[in-house]
Amino acid sequence: MADVLELPAPRGEAWRWSALDRLRAVAASPAGAPPAVPLLDLGGARLVFVDGVLDEAASTPGRVSVSSLSLATDHPLGRQATGTGWSLTLDAAQAETPIEIVHVATGGANHLPARIVLGEDAVASVVETFVGPGWTNRLLQVELARSARLQRAVRVLGGDGFVTTRDEVQVGQGGSYVACALAAGCSGVRFDAAITLGGDEAYGEMGGVLLTREEERHECAVRVRHAAPNGQSHQTWRAVAADTSVASLAAAVEVARHAQKTDGEQSLRGLLLQRTATVNLKPELEIFADDVKCAHGATVGELDARALFYLASRGIAPARAKALLTRAFVADALDRIGNETIRDAFAEDADRWLEQAL
Amino acid sequence: MMLKIENLHAEIDGKPILKGLSLTVNAGEVHAIMGPNGAGKSTLGYVLGGRPGYEVTDGSVHFLSPLPSREGPGVGGETHDGSSKNRPTPGPSLSGRGEGEWIDLLALEPHERAAAGVFLGFQYPVEIPGVSNVQFLRESLNAQRSARGEKPLSGAEFLKLARGEADKLGMDAEMLKRPVNVGFSGGEKKRNEMVQMGIIDPAFAILDETDSGLDIDALRIVGDGINRIMRAHTKAVLLITHYQRLLDYVKPDVVHVLADGRITRSGGPELAHELEREGYGAVAEEQMA
Ligand SMILES: Nc1ncnc2c1ncn2[C@@H]1O[C@H](COP(=O)(O)OP(=O)(O)O)[C@@H](O)[C@H]1O
Ligand SMILES: [Mg+2]
Repeated sequence: MADVLELPAPRGEAWRWSALDRLRAVAASPAGAPPAVPLLDLGGARLVFVDGVLDEAASTPGRVSVSSLSLATDHPLGRQATGTGWSLTLDAAQAETPIEIVHVATGGANHLPARIVLGEDAVASVVETFVGPGWTNRLLQVELARSARLQRAVRVLGGDGFVTTRDEVQVGQGGSYVACALAAGCSGVRFDAAITLGGDEAYGEMGGVLLTREEERHECAVRVRHAAPNGQSHQTWRAVAADTSVASLAAAVEVARHAQKTDGEQSLRGLLLQRTATVNLKPELEIFADDVKCAHGATVGELDARALFYLASRGIAPARAKALLTRAFVADALDRIGNETIRDAFAEDADRWLEQAL
Repeated sequence: MMLKIENLHAEIDGKPILKGLSLTVNAGEVHAIMGPNGAGKSTLGYVLGGRPGYEVTDGSVHFLSPLPSREGPGVGGETHDGSSKNRPTPGPSLSGRGEGEWIDLLALEPHERAAAGVFLGFQYPVEIPGVSNVQFLRESLNAQRSARGEKPLSGAEFLKLARGEADKLGMDAEMLKRPVNVGFSGGEKKRNEMVQMGIIDPAFAILDETDSGLDIDALRIVGDGINRIMRAHTKAVLLITHYQRLLDYVKPDVVHVLADGRITRSGGPELAHELEREGYGAVAEEQMA
């Protein structure tokens, strides 16, 4: 609680769409019963945190350790995540079956730091699930050594909660960072990330899907920094907004002067299920090198009335027709998830949301 | 009788397009509708299909569906759990309307018209990125089956049916996996409409300029397809066309001229040849005289 009251009202462009007043209200909500915990069956390590505290009985941490972490950051929300957290360190050429981390909240505010360090050629995949009310705040710092590869998938499901995540990622030479986020039902969400491609030929990808309805407010605020030559980055985000909700996509690509031959791509698209909803898009390119290929596209629209009638004329009921077209709209963002079990689970979460929203 | 249109008036954005159109189609018949550009042929198709924005201001359309229907608002939304397996095949007793009962077509939602057996072949089939042809067709068929109280087809049963239809209509089975109509040529889109019709197996088809965009070989294949799928004593077709060439393959029982929102003349197959020879202007004027 004290943390919230001390929260400096972050100002400026990076916070213009944030519902920080709501964050305060949610963080002050009383604790209730824990929600049902959706688990994936991945066969690897699993950690369940309840209000930021490891539930040992429900966890099999494997190679993940839980200990005191002190991570340096000047991010106004991220720096509140101090103390005990989780970390994964893999040495050269080690690989790990997908690790599942579940964040269960029961109300109030909870914070948790985390760290992933992958040595040369190491490979890991981590999927995180957020459920429950209250404010859940996370800071993750990632360091990928030469040719290390990390796949992340993050989903925020259901509840009156507010989830804020801050990722700070360093990708080394030839390394690969791929992250996909899904928000399907939560009062407030902010996916905030800074990804630095610091080595030659590094690859960085962050994208995902925001599904908002009623009065929900979701946003992503992602900045990819190309700090070395021959890097590639992709940001594919889809936002679907119903009722009077607001979904905001802000994605920036920054190319340093010496980061020649950079290939950066951004695709931000919004879909309004009702005209009372809002989708904000802010694609940004800041290019200081001269030999680069950067493309961005940003559009907001509604479901195609001609397509809806075509589906109806073949017997498909209106709600189902809308669901089909909306699923198709978000498909390319979710298809980026490499692991089939995880991809299917995320697709089902999106389907469930659509059934309720349409 | 299968379809009875009486004094139909319809407008788009307040502009009258159909101005008192009457037409009766009997089961077992193929009716051709011909007429100049802008006469309202596609509008008639859309009004029968229930396209939003096409407002009927007067008149009526009644349809005698040979297909069974299920009662209530659960159209398309019924689940098929174990408990429904022992249910007897729905007949007239379970139906909101019995078989062989006239329905007010204009009172139904577009998807309900499809379930009642009406199929609209589009002049300009719509592209749907991100939805595969297979998924689209399977959802369509199963939604209609479910609305009629029939069991949905399994994935395997459906694929067999879809591949068979694609094959008969000369469409590469690979195209079933592609997104609906995306990147299809004009002719491929029209063939795809016919594959859909073959899979859905409707009682009444309105085919809007299905012949446009087809080369002479494709025209024969599509013509054969229409005859195979729709020529039955329980079915009927409204064949909207600009040219008489499709009528060489699908022989109409009746030919109508639609001009300025009305049927201005009706006749036998010879009328199509007369139109081809003399043009719409002359034939329409003859009516006025
Ligand atoms: N969406 C629309 N908005 C306004 N007018 C339309 C629209 N669609 C068709 N029309 C008009 O309706 C008339 C009939 O069109 P249509 O039914 O497409 O004719 P046909 O198919 O016989 O060529 C034309 O004058 C056309 O301009
Ligand atoms: Mg037309």
